[in-house]
Amino acid sequence: MKYLLNSAAAALLLSSATAYANDSVMAEMAKSEQWAIQTGDYANTRYSELDQINKDNVKDLRVAWTFSTGVLRGHEGSPLVIGDMMYVHTPFPNKVFALDLANDGKIVWRYEPQQDPEVIAVMCCDTVNRGVAYADGMILMHQADTTLVALDAMTGEEKWKIVTGDPAIGETNTATVLPVKDKVIVGVSGGEYGVRGRVTAYNLADGSEAWKAYSTGPDDEMLVDPENTMHLGKPVGPDSSLNSWEGDQWKIGGGTTWGWYSYDPDLNLVYYGTGNPSTWNPSQRPGDNKWSMTIMARDADTGMAKWFYQMTPHDEWDFDGVNEMILTDQEIDGESRKLLTHFDRNGLGYTLDRETGELLVAEKFDPAVNWTTGVDMDPESENYGRPAVVEEYSTAQNGEDTNTTGICPAALGSKDQQPAAFSPKTNLFYVPTNHVCMDYEPFRVAYTAGQPYVGATLSMFPAPESHGGMGNFIAWDNVAGEIKWSLPEQFSVWSGALATAGDIVFYGTLEGYLKAVDAETGEELYKFKTPSGIIGNVMTYVQGGKQYIGILSGVGGWAGIGLAAGLTNPNDGLGAVGGYASLSDYTELGGQLTVFELPGDAPSEG
Amino acid sequence: MNATTSLAALAFAVLLAGQAAAQSETTTLPNGMDITPDYQEYGRWYNAEGIPTYKFDDEGAIDFATFNGYRRYSAECHVCHGPDGEGSTYAPALKESVLRMDYYDFQQVVASGKQEVNTAQNQVMPAFGTNKNVWCYIDDIYAYLLARGTDDLPRGRPAKKGPKSDEFREQEDSCMSM
Repeated sequence: MKYLLNSAAAALLLSSATAYANDSVMAEMAKSEQWAIQTGDYANTRYSELDQINKDNVKDLRVAWTFSTGVLRGHEGSPLVIGDMMYVHTPFPNKVFALDLANDGKIVWRYEPQQDPEVIAVMCCDTVNRGVAYADGMILMHQADTTLVALDAMTGEEKWKIVTGDPAIGETNTATVLPVKDKVIVGVSGGEYGVRGRVTAYNLADGSEAWKAYSTGPDDEMLVDPENTMHLGKPVGPDSSLNSWEGDQWKIGGGTTWGWYSYDPDLNLVYYGTGNPSTWNPSQRPGDNKWSMTIMARDADTGMAKWFYQMTPHDEWDFDGVNEMILTDQEIDGESRKLLTHFDRNGLGYTLDRETGELLVAEKFDPAVNWTTGVDMDPESENYGRPAVVEEYSTAQNGEDTNTTGICPAALGSKDQQPAAFSPKTNLFYVPTNHVCMDYEPFRVAYTAGQPYVGATLSMFPAPESHGGMGNFIAWDNVAGEIKWSLPEQFSVWSGALATAGDIVFYGTLEGYLKAVDAETGEELYKFKTPSGIIGNVMTYVQGGKQYIGILSGVGGWAGIGLAAGLTNPNDGLGAVGGYASLSDYTELGGQLTVFELPGDAPSEG
Repeated sequence: MNATTSLAALAFAVLLAGQAAAQSETTTLPNGMDITPDYQEYGRWYNAEGIPTYKFDDEGAIDFATFNGYRRYSAECHVCHGPDGEGSTYAPALKESVLRMDYYDFQQVVASGKQEVNTAQNQVMPAFGTNKNVWCYIDDIYAYLLARGTDDLPRGRPAKKGPKSDEFREQEDSCMSM
């Protein structure tokens, strides 16, 4: 059923006490045989109820079929499956293919937008795209050049097309979009170009703008109510952002919104994080630089901010706060709580009450993290909620033109955008992580519109005095704030995880392996090397009564830049140390979907 | 404190195991250019033809301009071309490019950018001619890439650097404030 709202209906909906999520998205997401949204569900759990493939038989997994996208750059995100149709997207030029799963994957339609290739030049870290979204019979693709196009899901015909940003000043897109109710919520990339971050909601019916909320600037432009927008239990007060910057720097101050979005239909709140303040040279932007590096909870209808929590005030390391917010209902001290769990680039795993923004847990999810001794958890303290910065690793305190050495994690964070998964069966989070440290030297830069605005030199290396590898795949207890188990990986784990009711967790590696591990113990149960390194996210679906696992290969992204040549020279004598070996010794560019199955026919019903 | 000390020790070990940073005996590149430093201007070294080059002193310290090239490269270029001029999954290794390319061609590509968009690849390099963070230091970046290309300078941050001269500073201030 079409769900087109006119403004009268929208007004009615606003006044209604009941929250309606987008009916079509809710309906399709509820079917566990589909993969109707990049994040698995609105809560971003990346958990599937499917259990045909389980910890006992996953060792028999084999390749069912493959599909080449014809594009050779970093492939992030995953396909969607709605009904019999699979939707596969690519990095720039952002092609979309609709494959008929009931007809041997025949291409029903393909869409290739015409984009000015100049946009590639202002994408900071490869031309990745984290996938399409589905709503109201439409496939939504937010292209690199910030064009948002709505395609008829059955025919690929353009329904409407709008432009959400300006690549001439460095505004680009890499993220997926979030359809909520009658709107679609959209972010922007470009923190390395001094872009002013914001989130915009457009009406699904025709692409017209509904609301826009900047991350920095005057209260009205941020959709902040100084009395009712809360930060750790207190109103943020007037001009909370303007007071935290010197002069007009907030205008080119970053706080971009290129990560994942989640939604709680009961609270009607949308959750996301904001990115680094621009530039990377902290001395050039005194103050807390609000609201960069912040978890935001906003009303889905109006965009008004319910609460903020700034994780890394006055960032000195490029620890963007954009990673996914995973929404779960779990017990703490015998009481059921509505939780939000977030694994930040800064190396801290946060658990908050998602209704109020109360901070419950903030603990390191990689023991290597050394820039902070921890977060002040005392509500009476004037530093409540702030991380205590270790002087030795403070690039601001050491100052411009000083090389601060041995900071853990590196700028790519203990975890980047690659999303974690949550299993309600184990109450554990499965987190792909980086295990990389850095030297960081900030220096003065000038701002030129549309040009990189970075202001620091950094060099990265595997975490010292550890296993020598550059990644870990961990299981995390978000209530205790503890690592349950940790699997060392030679390279950063840059692939989104999938947890299933079959008691297994899947993830990909930069060498190109798809791996399945036991959700309880982490024991490796299966691995298969796909044609290129994996930075995509694992998904699952059912077709013809049979469960399949899908993963995009195609090495690239930030991992492809930093790791392609290896982080340190594989000198004689040191080359034997696994972690120093370069990724180019293991894999090459590619662009391929690999779909896995168990041997044999679909199990009979019942 | 402990971490830093051990890390410094590790970095030192890497240097020892690797190549010592020093001017090599061979000074002619595959493209025929002689990179022997001949004279200094505004704190930068040039060969007899006025092409930027690098110079190590007797203690193995690289000249400041080349060190500065390392910093600017790592801020402006590495997000595509990878650390230390080594290339990435999609952008070429510039430490190799400078051995083949002529200095003036190098300048032209950096100033105007480059596009190779076809069915096989989507490569676009922006034009940096108006970006002071790049253009004020283009000779430094070039000299740094030369030093990387000849392997006279090992990967990573140069271990020792010469002093920043007053005339380098003056020229920098005047360029950045233009």
